[in-house]
Amino acid sequence: MKEVYLDYHSAKPVDSRVIEGMMKYFHEDFGNPSSLHHVGDVATEALEDSRKKIADFINADDDEIIFTSGATEAINLGIIGYALRNKNKGNHIIIAEIEHISIHNIVKYLEREGFEISKVPVDQYGKVSLQKLERRIKDKTILISIGMASNEIGTIQPINEIGKLAAERGIAFHTDAVAAEGLVPIDVKKDNINLMALSSNDIYGPRGVGVMYMQKRFRVNPIIIGGGQEKGLRSGSEDIPGIVGMSIAVEILQKEMNTEVKRFLGYRDGMIKQILDEVPDSHLNGHPIDRLASNAHFRFDGIEGESILLSFKDLGISVSTGSACTSKTLEPSHTLIATGLLHEEAHGSLQLTTGRFNTDEDIDIVLEAVPNVVSRLRELSPIYKTEAG
Amino acid sequence: MKSTKYSEKVLDHFRNPRNVGTLEGEDVAVGKVGNPTCGDIMEVYIRIDGNVITDAKFRTFGCGSAIATTSMTTEMVKGMTLDEAMKLTRQDVADELDGLPPIKMHCSNLAADALHEAIKSYRRGKGEEVPDEDEKVKDEIECLVGKDEFLDKGVYLNVEDRNEFKDLRTLVLYSGDESVETAIELTEVTDRVILLTPDETVVINPELAERLASSSVKVLYQSKLLEVRGEFEVEKVLILNIDEDEEYELFVDAVVIIE
Repeated sequence: MKEVYLDYHSAKPVDSRVIEGMMKYFHEDFGNPSSLHHVGDVATEALEDSRKKIADFINADDDEIIFTSGATEAINLGIIGYALRNKNKGNHIIIAEIEHISIHNIVKYLEREGFEISKVPVDQYGKVSLQKLERRIKDKTILISIGMASNEIGTIQPINEIGKLAAERGIAFHTDAVAAEGLVPIDVKKDNINLMALSSNDIYGPRGVGVMYMQKRFRVNPIIIGGGQEKGLRSGSEDIPGIVGMSIAVEILQKEMNTEVKRFLGYRDGMIKQILDEVPDSHLNGHPIDRLASNAHFRFDGIEGESILLSFKDLGISVSTGSACTSKTLEPSHTLIATGLLHEEAHGSLQLTTGRFNTDEDIDIVLEAVPNVVSRLRELSPIYKTEAG
Repeated sequence: MKSTKYSEKVLDHFRNPRNVGTLEGEDVAVGKVGNPTCGDIMEVYIRIDGNVITDAKFRTFGCGSAIATTSMTTEMVKGMTLDEAMKLTRQDVADELDGLPPIKMHCSNLAADALHEAIKSYRRGKGEEVPDEDEKVKDEIECLVGKDEFLDKGVYLNVEDRNEFKDLRTLVLYSGDESVETAIELTEVTDRVILLTPDETVVINPELAERLASSSVKVLYQSKLLEVRGEFEVEKVLILNIDEDEEYELFVDAVVIIE
């Protein structure tokens, strides 16, 4: 049985070119950039060269890139670090209802620390309304954090407009770019982004590496204290192999992103069209147009997501349901609930996300399986018939 | 009328409530009513000598009119016989306060109900037969928080121009055939229409039932709208699943309440 992986929003395989480029930094060029001898200098060069490449990728300056242990740490540093540094200016922070769960949990923490949090609702496609965002801005608002795109339903936010609004009102703008990186071009200057989180694995680099982009006037307080690496903002000896790996992943994207995204668009639009055509009472979650090229997200009346996931598992197909991160709990995804779905509707969802190593054959296998899986589960379902009347 | 536009008398009782506190003793009875979702909980204490109420106190958690009505009730009942007090209605209390804003009549003016609960509990304690009207009292609490606040900001009492609902996630409260017709019509401009009914089925004519079944209207049975929520305009609603006694939020853009 051929294994088919269509869950690229959850985890990505590391590109073999990345692994190859990383290898020598484990054993040969193993130095610590803080050391002043030659071995240390080689490491410093690799670190700074990687920083430059990643800065270039998002149109930032070299000294605006802070390496972290991953996107979660970058988000913590960006949001908590900025909030704590600026609490004298105000204590109000705005996020979107549709943010990644890590951001919801971070602001929950900040709420306990005396910050006030507002959440902007989204429309039925998962888009943030600028008008609703603007109405939530207060004198004490210091930070707006809205992700570039949803990691679940793939909806792309009007980042340029949000950045402009934040700049006009003198509020810092943080964006979680993890779902979007590698799929949409990122330009921090054009979009007025002040703070941003990137992940290495989400662009086929190794896990355990991330970046916090910090524009010069938008300093944060460190949340990890130690030897003062990364200009004191992120202590701990730098993970040189990982950082080099991320920079190689970026280089590959700069060459291949356009072609790759076109291929994903073909997969996505083919899946959306065929599934909505062939499966009765099926619906697309997320935005019909402004969505990530890699993301197709459906829901099927009358059946439950976990049973869909298990059926696909039996066919050797890896997919996600509800939230990629929380399907273990079978709690309905907060993202789907934010788009206005009922719990039972959110449960009946199927997330298909494609990536670099998918082939046309993979898509064909999934497209053949979906109608069968759905109709078999509906035959077992006590609620499907009544719903269809 | 705005929901906070109170008479001078209401404001006086709100600012200087009479008879705040509790009573204790063999000759004391307590009545407690309220709905935490509405934000009102009231306790009325009465001391009874023979057949006459000699003293009354109250404690209230709630809005201005809730406090004022309980305050006024305790003033009114002192000296009344139990039979007279049982006849005291919410309307009597409101009248004595020179009226209440209409929206507050339902939610807040529960003081008379609390009083009646106290009398009934006293009579039950004496071994008298008292019809249990608890369920009825609950049903009478027609409370929908936010309806007034969001009127014309996402809450509609009718659908004049259906194009206003284009692409809006719309919740329609079931109130008979007209509400079902409206829900079906709205599916022409938005693919998300939810019809909410507290019952297990909707009672409509067979032709309409068929049209409803073949439409994209999503019907939520055994569900009650408790609250309309949002900042500045309707953003979500709080729904009670009656069957499972569970409350949950649903994100919507518009609520249609045809009365």
